[in-house]
Amino acid sequence: MSKPVILCVDDQREVLAALTKDLEPLTSHFSLVDAESADEAIDVLDDLEAGGTPIALIISDHVMPGVSGVDFLSKIAAQSRFAKTRKLLLTGLATHEDTIRAINEGHIDNYTAKPWQPGTLLATVKKLISEYVFDALPDAYLDYKGVMDPDVMINRLQRRGGP
Amino acid sequence: MPVGRIVKTVIALLAAAIVLMLPADTFGIVGLTVLQQRVMALFVFAMFFWVLEPIPIFATSVMIIVLELLFMSNKSIKWLKPPDTLHYEAVMHNFADPIIMLFLGGFFIGAAATKYRMDINLGRVLLKPFGTNPKWVMLGMMIVTAIFSMFMSNTATTAMMLAVLMPVLRSIAPEDPARVGFALSIPFAANVGGIGTPIGTPPNAVAMKYLTPQLLDSASTVKTPLITFGQWMLFAVPYMLVLLVITWLLLLFMFKPKADKMTVNFEGKWLRSGRAWVVYVTSALTILLWLLGSFHGMSSTVVAMIPVGVFCATGVIDSNDLKQMSWEVLWLMSGGFALGMALQDSGLANALVNSIPFASMSAMVVLALVCILTFVMANFMSHTATSNLILPVVATLATALPTLGDVGGPVALLLACTFCASLSMTFPISTPPNAMAYATGWIENRDMAKSGLITGVIGLLLLGGMLMMLKTMGYFATFGA
Repeated sequence: MSKPVILCVDDQREVLAALTKDLEPLTSHFSLVDAESADEAIDVLDDLEAGGTPIALIISDHVMPGVSGVDFLSKIAAQSRFAKTRKLLLTGLATHEDTIRAINEGHIDNYTAKPWQPGTLLATVKKLISEYVFDALPDAYLDYKGVMDPDVMINRLQRRGGP
Repeated sequence: MPVGRIVKTVIALLAAAIVLMLPADTFGIVGLTVLQQRVMALFVFAMFFWVLEPIPIFATSVMIIVLELLFMSNKSIKWLKPPDTLHYEAVMHNFADPIIMLFLGGFFIGAAATKYRMDINLGRVLLKPFGTNPKWVMLGMMIVTAIFSMFMSNTATTAMMLAVLMPVLRSIAPEDPARVGFALSIPFAANVGGIGTPIGTPPNAVAMKYLTPQLLDSASTVKTPLITFGQWMLFAVPYMLVLLVITWLLLLFMFKPKADKMTVNFEGKWLRSGRAWVVYVTSALTILLWLLGSFHGMSSTVVAMIPVGVFCATGVIDSNDLKQMSWEVLWLMSGGFALGMALQDSGLANALVNSIPFASMSAMVVLALVCILTFVMANFMSHTATSNLILPVVATLATALPTLGDVGGPVALLLACTFCASLSMTFPISTPPNAMAYATGWIENRDMAKSGLITGVIGLLLLGGMLMMLKTMGYFATFGA
């Protein structure tokens, strides 16, 4: 099985570059994939999913040419094949209404405002991917212990048991 | 699939295939049957897959049962059926072996205790007398962890205790060594505590499977365990407590706490709903019946079905809770039992033991070798898989070794081997509790390696001492040694 993917969607190259830099510590266990628009992101997702690559997390901007981030995430949320994939909305320009839709229809797991603190974003992403690992790869969670959030791990193991 | 996993799978399959293909007379066993050679290949298959882990360890266990059914049973594939066979029903019965049911009873108590927060509330009561001095708090936490891990899974216990401990540790100064000491004390206490009862950790249950009258007299067909739940605790709990205190002193010595005050909060209230009372009363009653032995006529495996029945009937455990139970742990043991059954029923175990000149060997040397082998293996792979491989072989060896009386007989050998598995806690990969504590990020690899290895070695020495003592007291005499 190939490394689970963290997909970053933003129309600005600089933002994608900054994300890649801030999430670099996770590349030992996850691959970072970029997309510059929602349409491109959907193509990439279809392709990865067909190849059997797990999609752990989607980080998306909201204001982009073409399909907006919230619309894109709502589309993802409606598909059962991405039921376990975590979704993070990373934006500085969402209106009150967009935010409501992001929660009600996009079922986002986290809302982070731009500009972000690199340390905080990394911690948030670690939490989200830890949840994903326990949902989607329960037999292999120990392989990811280096990049997992300990609180999530302890919380999940408490409910799950083991030898 | 990553290259590493493919390579491991190929190596494992190749090793098994070689054993299967070699001419029957290469193994030095006179009259090796087709079935016996297949069982030997299956053993090699299991060993490589459990050691290299290209697939989850429970999957290997399931494969053992499936391969036995397809290629070794009386209902196997017609054209590949060996002349002598294993009985297919007996192979399938391993999924519901009484020992598996004993463990299931433990799962039910653990799941109900967590769901109705009996664990947290009990923890608060038990920790109270230890005050706020970090030294004593550490001992208190270790004792609570050990007690819980005797009846709940070591992993769930560690998770629960670390969840309580994390906020406390975050509040103390980062340079205080107490952080490391506390973070290590929980997994170590869980590993050691698991020794306390037959259901404390899977290796103990595997041992119960082989601690039958057959161990003393190979002609016997009685399957009831030689040792009752209470008898196990009689020697295991004192041993465990002594080792626990030594571990505590060791951790205090290595990581002396600087803070002079520490409060651990188990938050919550005792639940008073009807179902909560069902949990309290049933758990207490089950444990009491286990301790009372067999005057009531019920074996410990039968008693284990009481919480299963009561919790299902009263809705304490619903279908969702049932789905969340660690069935893979039970299947992991089932596969081990099926492997052990194949070794014994095919006659391979006896044939192997007869081909080695044990009579000339000193029992002491055999005991030491077996213990060290188990200890080393269990440090690098799953404790359950280790005992699945080693215990059936040791059980056969024990019946064939005439000098074994010197160290307390077959029962002593098997118990020593089982305890050794639980003493392996050197690395993060050694046990799930270790891995979890390591993942908190407060522990360096070398801290764990040093303190874990010292604890393990002290445990081994203490084990030797305990066996001597039990033998002098004549404890093993009841088991024909």
